[in-house]
Amino acid sequence: MGEDRALMIEVINLHKYFKDHHVLKGLNQKVYKSEVVAMIGPSGAGKSTFLRCLNRLEEPSLGKILIEGTDITATRTDINKVRTEIGMVFQSFNLFPHLTALQNIKLAPINVRRMSEKDAEERGRQLLKKVGLQEKANAYPDQLSGGQQQRVAIARALAMQPHMIFFDEPTSALDPEMIREVLDVMDNLAKEGMTMLVVSHEIGFIREAATRILVLADGCIIEEGTPNEVLKHPQHSRTQDFLSKIV
Amino acid sequence: MMPEMVPSPPTGGNKTRPSWRERFGHVPWFRRYEFLGGLFLLLLALAFFLPPFGRPQSTLVWIEIAVYFLAVLFWVGIILSDIEKPNWMKAIAAVLIVLVFGWLFYQYSGARWDKLAHAFFNWEILSATGSYGSTTSAWIELLAGLWLTLQLAFFSIIFGTVLGLILAVLRNLHDPVLNFFLTIWVDFFRAIPIIVLMMLIYYAFPYLGITLSGVVSGVLTLTLNSSAYISEIFRAGIESIHYGQVEASRALGLTTMQTMRLVILPQAIRVVMPPLASNYVAMLKDTAICSVIAILELLKTAITLQSWLANPTPLVAATALYLLILIPMARFSSVLENRMKARGVSRALASKKG
Amino acid sequence: MANIKQTPIRESFAKRYRARFGHLPWFKRYECLIPLSIIILLIGFLLLPPLGKPTPLQWLWIGVFLILLILWVVGILTDIEKPRWIRAIAAISFVFVLGFFFYRYSGAQWDKLTTNFFNLSVMEGLWGDLGQGLLMTLKVALVSMCISLVLGLVIAILRSLNNPILNVFLIIYIDFFRAIPLIVLVVFVFYALPFLGIELDPYISAVVAVSLSYAAYVAEVIRAGIESIYRGQVEASRALGLSSMQTMRLVILPQAVRVVIPPTTGLMVGLLKDTALTTIIGLPELLYKGIQNTIWQSNPTPLVAAAVLYIIVLLPLTRFSGYLETRSKKWVKTAR
Repeated sequence: MGEDRALMIEVINLHKYFKDHHVLKGLNQKVYKSEVVAMIGPSGAGKSTFLRCLNRLEEPSLGKILIEGTDITATRTDINKVRTEIGMVFQSFNLFPHLTALQNIKLAPINVRRMSEKDAEERGRQLLKKVGLQEKANAYPDQLSGGQQQRVAIARALAMQPHMIFFDEPTSALDPEMIREVLDVMDNLAKEGMTMLVVSHEIGFIREAATRILVLADGCIIEEGTPNEVLKHPQHSRTQDFLSKIV
Repeated sequence: MMPEMVPSPPTGGNKTRPSWRERFGHVPWFRRYEFLGGLFLLLLALAFFLPPFGRPQSTLVWIEIAVYFLAVLFWVGIILSDIEKPNWMKAIAAVLIVLVFGWLFYQYSGARWDKLAHAFFNWEILSATGSYGSTTSAWIELLAGLWLTLQLAFFSIIFGTVLGLILAVLRNLHDPVLNFFLTIWVDFFRAIPIIVLMMLIYYAFPYLGITLSGVVSGVLTLTLNSSAYISEIFRAGIESIHYGQVEASRALGLTTMQTMRLVILPQAIRVVMPPLASNYVAMLKDTAICSVIAILELLKTAITLQSWLANPTPLVAATALYLLILIPMARFSSVLENRMKARGVSRALASKKG
Repeated sequence: MANIKQTPIRESFAKRYRARFGHLPWFKRYECLIPLSIIILLIGFLLLPPLGKPTPLQWLWIGVFLILLILWVVGILTDIEKPRWIRAIAAISFVFVLGFFFYRYSGAQWDKLTTNFFNLSVMEGLWGDLGQGLLMTLKVALVSMCISLVLGLVIAILRSLNNPILNVFLIIYIDFFRAIPLIVLVVFVFYALPFLGIELDPYISAVVAVSLSYAAYVAEVIRAGIESIYRGQVEASRALGLSSMQTMRLVILPQAVRVVIPPTTGLMVGLLKDTALTTIIGLPELLYKGIQNTIWQSNPTPLVAAAVLYIIVLLPLTRFSGYLETRSKKWVKTAR
């Protein structure tokens, strides 16, 4: 699929140990530009760990990870530079509670990209408008609902103009009525051609937006394919088992 | 109790004797007005049999007085703990216990109250000049002592905070070897009483050839002592920040230093402020210990004046000065603490809502 | 992302430098650290003055040496990619150099250390005396602990009745005794009250002052413990039909005790420490004995011995109360 497009992520034989616990057992994967890759699988399968290894929030134990051709596992690579190209959205939002929504968004562009205060402010407001929260610019995180906080977190990730965004279970800490507003924002991003890696169990969203699904279990990719193939005709017995439980 | 007086239960079963409560209502006996009124009269009568004015000589009399006070406390406690008693009665009970305590103290402490004004509040002696060979009045001396106390506190706070911050930052490097030494430092200075450390530095170190002046020893002692406490406060503040905050900033590409400066420290300072403030209040109190190494701060000045003037008014005045400064500060630090607790609650509620 | 204006990224000098030489900041690089360690060693061996009080110029060299050393240590310790053994060497050498400098330049006569500080022959026959002092310290502490706990409990209970008139007096009591430095209170009770005809011997004065002061702290701690019990707990037990006494006995107190014990233990350790303050009124407790004997022997070994005894008694206790406190924090977290 899409071999003519730019290669964004290449993972070669990735292993991760926590002490003696073997979490990732030799993953190989390629992600191309504008792909939306959804990762599903039972809890403890290593989905989040895999995602977090890709921007070295977890140190990979073994293997190679190339982000846009840069080997990020090499010690001499400036991981902060790589991270500016990767947006990350967390399950627990992780907004900075001492800063307003707008300040949260401006922080990294000003301090990492050395953008001017004025430009950052302008972009921050544009992004808040994009996620539908322009009137909440001066609200502190504890004055926002969970769904609003997560949308601010997405805007914060976008402010760095990343080449790809990782979503680590972005909706699982939210009340049901707030999931939609976050998924809508993610849907729009996918339509704009953003490269996205999503760990999520929102089957509706995956069916609509994802171009590819990876099914992980016990640290291995046991199945991979388009949503149509995987969701309608799962091949692996564990995939069938898992899907029957969450649908 | 006569069985025929009792209305027989409708079922006519074997239950012949109703319980006491069924007859007299559910109020327990000790909360009933019959009991409380009787006890009140008894206490009133007993008051006339209490020993006469003056310090009691035998232990038996002391016990008698103590029992009387406990009985009054019991009576008051019953009234105050019953929500059904009217408010005016509670007010009377509250005033009564304070009055009885004051009266018993007045009667039996053995104090000569006629001397109170002369001994404790002798303003003439305090404002007179030259009464003991000095040209200034005792007031001025006391104020000079207060100024030295404040300076001692100021320098100890500055140095203690800087040292504590350095220790906390070193702690935060999580180096096992360094941590070993830091733990020894913190444990040692938290375990040793300030006054012992001060005596060691001031009286024992000169035998080694290290001679420090009184003020330097005092500030050094308070600095060393508080550095241990302050470093623990800072460490707790830094550790209280959720790890997700660090991850989020690293994912945005902030460096370690930027994460510290822009994300961790602004949050940690809010957590750290209340315990830090109460630690500073405690340090101001601890400067009084410097009086044992001949520093003429407020307490030492007061003690010296008292022995010169043979009158404890300077000590009373010094106590008043301490209270004047420390009560507002203590109040302020507890306001800070409560505000943070309240904020914590509102934040917890907000996140629950979300 | 079409609607977002692309702003050009300003390249700073540091960025360009790093693009050429990799991302490690200069002070963490081996190219920098190795010459730095050579310079440090050279200064250390050639320029540092020998034992004794240095001249101002020598102090300057010591300062330069220390600054370079701190740079070196920070450069190594802040970099998690450096191997363990290098980090360990950095930490040890840092502590070692600080200790060594104190040894060399504090001007102390270390040859007198054993004769003046740890002179066991001076201590002969004094251990019993110090032991008596320690017993007195423990006695004052234990008696004061009992009184302050009971008094504090009474005050806290009266406080929890929420009577506005009574509260005024209780708050005055608590504010007064928490604000006044304990040593001032001790001095006041012993030196000022006799002028009023209230003459108490040092032991009674010490117990009175310490107990009154700590009762205020105990009362506050207990009150905070009672208040920390979540209101829903009371409602839940009342809804089950428990009476207010039963609620207190079965639900509130068992929880409050768990909340209150760690800070109260801390307070009691503090009380034991603070008994040393009563030395100012001549109470023959441990510190007083240490000082007396120091004066009589004109040798500070007894004082050092007293300090060591304090540490031996208090260190395990502070550790223990710290342990209780961290454990209760964990407990509170799981309860919420």
